[in-house]
Amino acid sequence: MIWLSVGQVLLLVAIAPLVRGVIARLKARIQNRCGASVWRPYADLVKLFRKEDLVPPSASIVFRFAPMIVFAATVTAAAFVPALHGSALLGATGDFILFVYLLALSRFFLSLGAMDGGSSFGGMGASREALVSALAEVPLLLGLVAVAILARTATLAGIVQWTVRQDFTQISAVHALAFAALALVAIAETGRIPVDNPTTHLELTMIHEAMVLEYSGPSLALIEWASAVKLSLLLALLIGVFAPWGMAGGISVAALVLATLVFLLKVFVLALAIAVVESSIAKLRMYLVPDFLGVASALAILAVVFTALMR
Amino acid sequence: MIQTLFDAFLIGLLCIPAVILAGGRRRSIRVLASALLLIGLLAGTAVAGVSFWRGDRLAIDLSQLTPLPFSVAVDRLSAFFLLLICGVGAAVTLFSYAYVEHHYTGRRRDWLWALLPLFLLSMMLVVTASTAFAFLFGWELMTLFSAGLIVIDGDSEQRRHSLYVYLLMMHAGAAAVAAGFLLFLPNAAGLSFASMRTAAALMPAGLRTAIFLLAFIGFGAKAGIIPLHIWLPKAHPIAPSPVSALMSGVMLKTAVYGFVRFGFDFLGAGPDWWGYLVLAAGAVSGVLGVLYAIAEHDLKRLLAYHSVENIGIIYLGLGAALVFRAHNAPVWVALALLAALLHTLNHGLFKSLLFLGAGAVSHAAHTLDIEELGGLLKRMRTTGAAFLVACCSIIGLPIFNGFISEWLTFRSFLAGSALGSMPASVVLPLMAGVLALIGGLAAACFAKVYGVAFLGRPRSAQADHAQEVPFAMRASMVLLAVPCVVIGIAPGFVLRPLSAALQQFLPGTVLPEEAVSIAGVMPWIAAAVLALVFTATAIRRVTRITPTWACGLPGLDSRMQYTSTSFSKPLRRVFSQVYKPDRTLEILPADRPYFPTAISYRSVRTTSFEKSLYRPAVEAIVGTAHRLRRLQTGNIQVYLLYIFMALVALLVFMRFA
Amino acid sequence: MHLVHFAATRALASSAVFLFITVLLMATAKRISTCIVLFSAQCAIITAEILAMAYVHRSSEAYAVAALVLIVKVLAIPYALFRIVKDLQAPGDITASTTAAQSVFIAAGLILLSFFAVEPYSETLRVDTGMLAAAIALVLSGAFLMVSRKKALAQVIGLLVLENGIFLAALTTTFGMPLVVEIGIFFDLLMGVFLMGLFVFRIRDTFEHLDVSKLRRLRG
Repeated sequence: MIWLSVGQVLLLVAIAPLVRGVIARLKARIQNRCGASVWRPYADLVKLFRKEDLVPPSASIVFRFAPMIVFAATVTAAAFVPALHGSALLGATGDFILFVYLLALSRFFLSLGAMDGGSSFGGMGASREALVSALAEVPLLLGLVAVAILARTATLAGIVQWTVRQDFTQISAVHALAFAALALVAIAETGRIPVDNPTTHLELTMIHEAMVLEYSGPSLALIEWASAVKLSLLLALLIGVFAPWGMAGGISVAALVLATLVFLLKVFVLALAIAVVESSIAKLRMYLVPDFLGVASALAILAVVFTALMR
Repeated sequence: MIQTLFDAFLIGLLCIPAVILAGGRRRSIRVLASALLLIGLLAGTAVAGVSFWRGDRLAIDLSQLTPLPFSVAVDRLSAFFLLLICGVGAAVTLFSYAYVEHHYTGRRRDWLWALLPLFLLSMMLVVTASTAFAFLFGWELMTLFSAGLIVIDGDSEQRRHSLYVYLLMMHAGAAAVAAGFLLFLPNAAGLSFASMRTAAALMPAGLRTAIFLLAFIGFGAKAGIIPLHIWLPKAHPIAPSPVSALMSGVMLKTAVYGFVRFGFDFLGAGPDWWGYLVLAAGAVSGVLGVLYAIAEHDLKRLLAYHSVENIGIIYLGLGAALVFRAHNAPVWVALALLAALLHTLNHGLFKSLLFLGAGAVSHAAHTLDIEELGGLLKRMRTTGAAFLVACCSIIGLPIFNGFISEWLTFRSFLAGSALGSMPASVVLPLMAGVLALIGGLAAACFAKVYGVAFLGRPRSAQADHAQEVPFAMRASMVLLAVPCVVIGIAPGFVLRPLSAALQQFLPGTVLPEEAVSIAGVMPWIAAAVLALVFTATAIRRVTRITPTWACGLPGLDSRMQYTSTSFSKPLRRVFSQVYKPDRTLEILPADRPYFPTAISYRSVRTTSFEKSLYRPAVEAIVGTAHRLRRLQTGNIQVYLLYIFMALVALLVFMRFA
Repeated sequence: MHLVHFAATRALASSAVFLFITVLLMATAKRISTCIVLFSAQCAIITAEILAMAYVHRSSEAYAVAALVLIVKVLAIPYALFRIVKDLQAPGDITASTTAAQSVFIAAGLILLSFFAVEPYSETLRVDTGMLAAAIALVLSGAFLMVSRKKALAQVIGLLVLENGIFLAALTTTFGMPLVVEIGIFFDLLMGVFLMGLFVFRIRDTFEHLDVSKLRRLRG
């Protein structure tokens, strides 16, 4: 049982770069390009781990440790999300609040690391990240609160187990609204278009890229891996909370293999959705992002209110 | 044994000022006094700790000796607050030992050492008093001694005004508290807490509501809930750093203590709007407090606004507890109260640590303007590390203590949906969103503070030449940082006695196991995070120091770093409705706008509360006073007429009443 | 047969949710074409609902109404509106006077308001609260769209949403009006859209744009 849970965490951490690669490949295909191999993010990581670590003269110990804390907190958060089976390593006692705040821990140290470089880019990225994440916190938590109220439990594993028992056709307004809110937040939190452009290096627009500008070598590898894990975590969260059907009921090899395939298929569908969205709309102007997150907040608030109305 | 130690500790503390003032300017006397104070406070911590964990009751009754009913008693709730006062007080004393010697001389230094123990003692009196007289006596002394400590730091028109506002707000609050106590009198045999408790059960609902509102306003003024907060950002920056640490970390908590005593001990369950009122006050204080803090770049003012924010979080917990109490759900009352009280302790720890850190920064770099700081972590390692712990705690990041209390608050909000009655089951879960917003904004604010002040490169020569502070100061900060982390990783050892302390108001309630599951999971989280960080350090790496990327141009200097103002600009722009700055742009000469000789730009931010609430109120009072002056003619016959008219009016009144 | 019955009951139970979602999406929409598609989707949901009702209550008249809605509202009116948009060759944005977030907050508030407003009636009329609330929410949000959108075409869509609400209210409370009346209303609606389309062209030709806030100049 515990090995299954550990395996789940390892799966989420291991496939994270692949998810990125698949999105990039799908985007390339949609835009009529060939695109790089879906395994390219792994090659990038290997190469970065081999390179030397460049450190600015002004940097302190925070600069050195920030990538490790970012990575550690994100991977620990992965221990909360059930992917293949209705349980998780820390799923029985760790709830969604802890999950959200672990992500906040990683974000805070990423911002500090960015500001330690002593250039203006780091501060710029950290400042923008502060704006986006401060406003994204509300819909993220409220969306999960709404679902938790329905499931009458605060642990993510409990919510997933409750949803599995429900009938897919019993769609409720709460689920629809919470899904919309969380999907918008997932885009903002992982720095995808229209909130941030993961491929840009233009100082006027970049958020995440500006923060990691001073990092190189193994440090950069850890940060990039952590942000890939975050993306696959949030996708797994959406899948687990809103469409967990197909998860393994018991612990047999056949059921687990089937569950893995179903899970990968769902991740692929979400990746396709991201690729389509990123290819069809433009990045929002910086000061329209609060508006975007305001829509998410309104949906999340409505979801919470509906939990009481729909009783 | 404990009782004797308690008596000895109180007497010892009372003696110190006399020793200081009588002992003259000798250094040995001061060292002796501060050592005595430290030992006394450590003894007090031990006493409070033992009676908090074991639940022993201590009492000293002086009613026989004095003409007034003056007695103190320590129950578990008092012991909890006593523990906070003594523990933080000990760390602050240790800090002051080094700080005061460097920054103060002569009589000012003597007065500081004399007033500090008295200030601590007055706060202890407030939390241990068991009669209304003793409580109010301590309450007033606390205001006066803290004002005295502020006066020590210097004198100017500006400081006098700030002090005046502080005293005015405090006395208005004290008047409301005193009125709250007096309203018990018609039904109570006396003003001892025990008789007030029994009297409250017999009182009509209207009277209880009146008492509740008076307590809300009176203690709210002390706690600094918005709109009664205006004294906080004025008084904290002008006090000596150790004193601000005590005022913000500990003195505000006495107001929380008083409110909990009134709301949960004396008065029974009230209507649910009491809870919504407190929730609204908490939400407004929390959100506006952190938004005002974001716009500040004076470290102490910024921290003062964060006190407003954290009091808001505490009030959110208290409000949720009141709502649960009105709906007769004692289990959740216990959870919400637990959250509020634990956050009180946590805030006491990390906020005093932050203020001591600010003191260390001003000691080392001679400024508190974070635009002039930068790169301090490399120069002050221990201070920087302790300050980072405090930052992580105040934001509420996991494995630090602030997270535990915020988690408990979240869980009590979530439980609101189980009540099933309409406003509560929507309002409480939505408050989770407010708390999330506060948390997100606080994270932004402290990323700014730490990033600008402690990281990057120094922004001024003073910051560049900053050196680590003396050992006593460092030790005191580490002393406060350790419990922040310990409570964050293993909260169980505080949660258990604290929930036992709540048995006093809620007999027979047991917290649901799921609700305190955090105590079980936090060690695992901490272990996982630390193990992963440790694994990551094992990665082979070759480090090379290279200049920061400057887009290929030479000469990147500290002026090109993001400043505090520019960091907060996006948030200030999004929440511009809150700030409404008065901006003036003057171009000289006015007739030649395109060829100016001088351009001056000024942006003044007065909070809207001063502009739209206090100023009109003050003007109305002054206006009325001017109009009333017409009664003062100076003519003796007119005064006789007044007396005559009063007599006639009284007779008429007596006839018809 | 079992499957059809299941589909019908599900359609009745969850159409209110989908209607709320279209309302919220319309509040965020930035382009006229999105609004038109959403309007068409909204009408499709209503069609499904009428079909489900027709099946449950075994009424042949309702089938005819469903067919009418499908033809007129789901297909004809959106087609006509798209034609107008294409022929106008004007910029496709709707220039709202509130931001998207504000619009969603207001729309959410209107939905909640309609829930509170219909609560006493749904007891006495014995109809589904969600359904009736959806109808009122459509009326309110249609009105809100007309108030807050500056472009003439967006206001036309607001009016159509409002009409959808009235139609739905009639459907849920009295199971529809007589067929003749329904047909008359649909014909009116179709004519209305064409007339408004004409006006939109006239406005464009006279003022060179579609922003009705500029009509103030007519005051002289």
